[in-house]
Amino acid sequence: MDEKKVIIRTGFTEALPLAIAIAAYGLSYGVLAAQANFSLAGTVAMSLLVFSGSVQMVAVAMLTTGASLASVLFTSILLNLRNLLYGAALAEGLAPAKNWKWLLAFGVSDEPFVLGVSRFAKYGPDPLYFGTITGTFYAAWALSSLMGALIGNQIDPQKWGLDLAFPITFIALIIPSLKGKPVIATALTAVVIASGLEYLMPGNEFTIIITGILSPLAGLYLKRRSQNA
Amino acid sequence: MLNYWILIGLLAASTYISRIIGIEIMAGREMNATLRLYFNYVPIGIISALIIKQIVIPMDGQLAISFPVLIGCLSTAITIKVLKMFLPSVMIGAILGWAARYCMS
Repeated sequence: MDEKKVIIRTGFTEALPLAIAIAAYGLSYGVLAAQANFSLAGTVAMSLLVFSGSVQMVAVAMLTTGASLASVLFTSILLNLRNLLYGAALAEGLAPAKNWKWLLAFGVSDEPFVLGVSRFAKYGPDPLYFGTITGTFYAAWALSSLMGALIGNQIDPQKWGLDLAFPITFIALIIPSLKGKPVIATALTAVVIASGLEYLMPGNEFTIIITGILSPLAGLYLKRRSQNA
Repeated sequence: MLNYWILIGLLAASTYISRIIGIEIMAGREMNATLRLYFNYVPIGIISALIIKQIVIPMDGQLAISFPVLIGCLSTAITIKVLKMFLPSVMIGAILGWAARYCMS
């Protein structure tokens, strides 16, 4: 019993700093969703049911630019591809949870992956730890989404410059991850492809999907070239 | 609004399926290294495209650059590079972008 308490306390303590960062994203998401005409219930329901910052942010951003539901769904499938990697890496550490794995699977995303993999490498499988960190992140994400939606619903987006929040939030998300030539090449290629597509077909809804499929090839090419050099 | 609820349901289902497939099916399988890298680069490409779509906006069939958005983005990029803090960087970018719009109007 004491051991379980220690694991829960450790999980909570280690998750807390990241939970604060997640809450900052959640706040932004809530404001942006309100701006994309999501109701308060819809904004919070998406956080409770989807629980994926990147998918939710991209979905509301695409809807704001007039994308169809089908293209939003296809883009989210592309974004979710990395969950296959995360799940595969976490599977052994969650194996003792047996049927609870189906619930813990809900936590397969960026931040729980980082903490979970590092914990399993040190102490072996630990579903309780993973459940604790996921629960902490889930609470932070849901509550901050609610707060963001409440703020976003109260103010005029244009007057307060909230329409600027989309690109600015994405810049703040992407800049810290631009490390290494392959990643930078992917981003620059995406800029070129997206600009070209918008120039040829202004306002079309396939820009994001086509760019998302093609631009990683530039990163792959550079990575392969550096490995073969 | 009904469409939004359908979208939320579909996003929830597709996201959960990607998670459980990873745990139940992909576990123990060696994934091709190239495919692994590709998956990791996809979000960078999508987010970059979204930023471009906000900076370069169609107006009367022509493309126009939104300078308030551009200024907001550049100031956010510089701020997060220096401060390495998400929320302050977003706030500074939003304030400068808003100020640019105010000055240009």
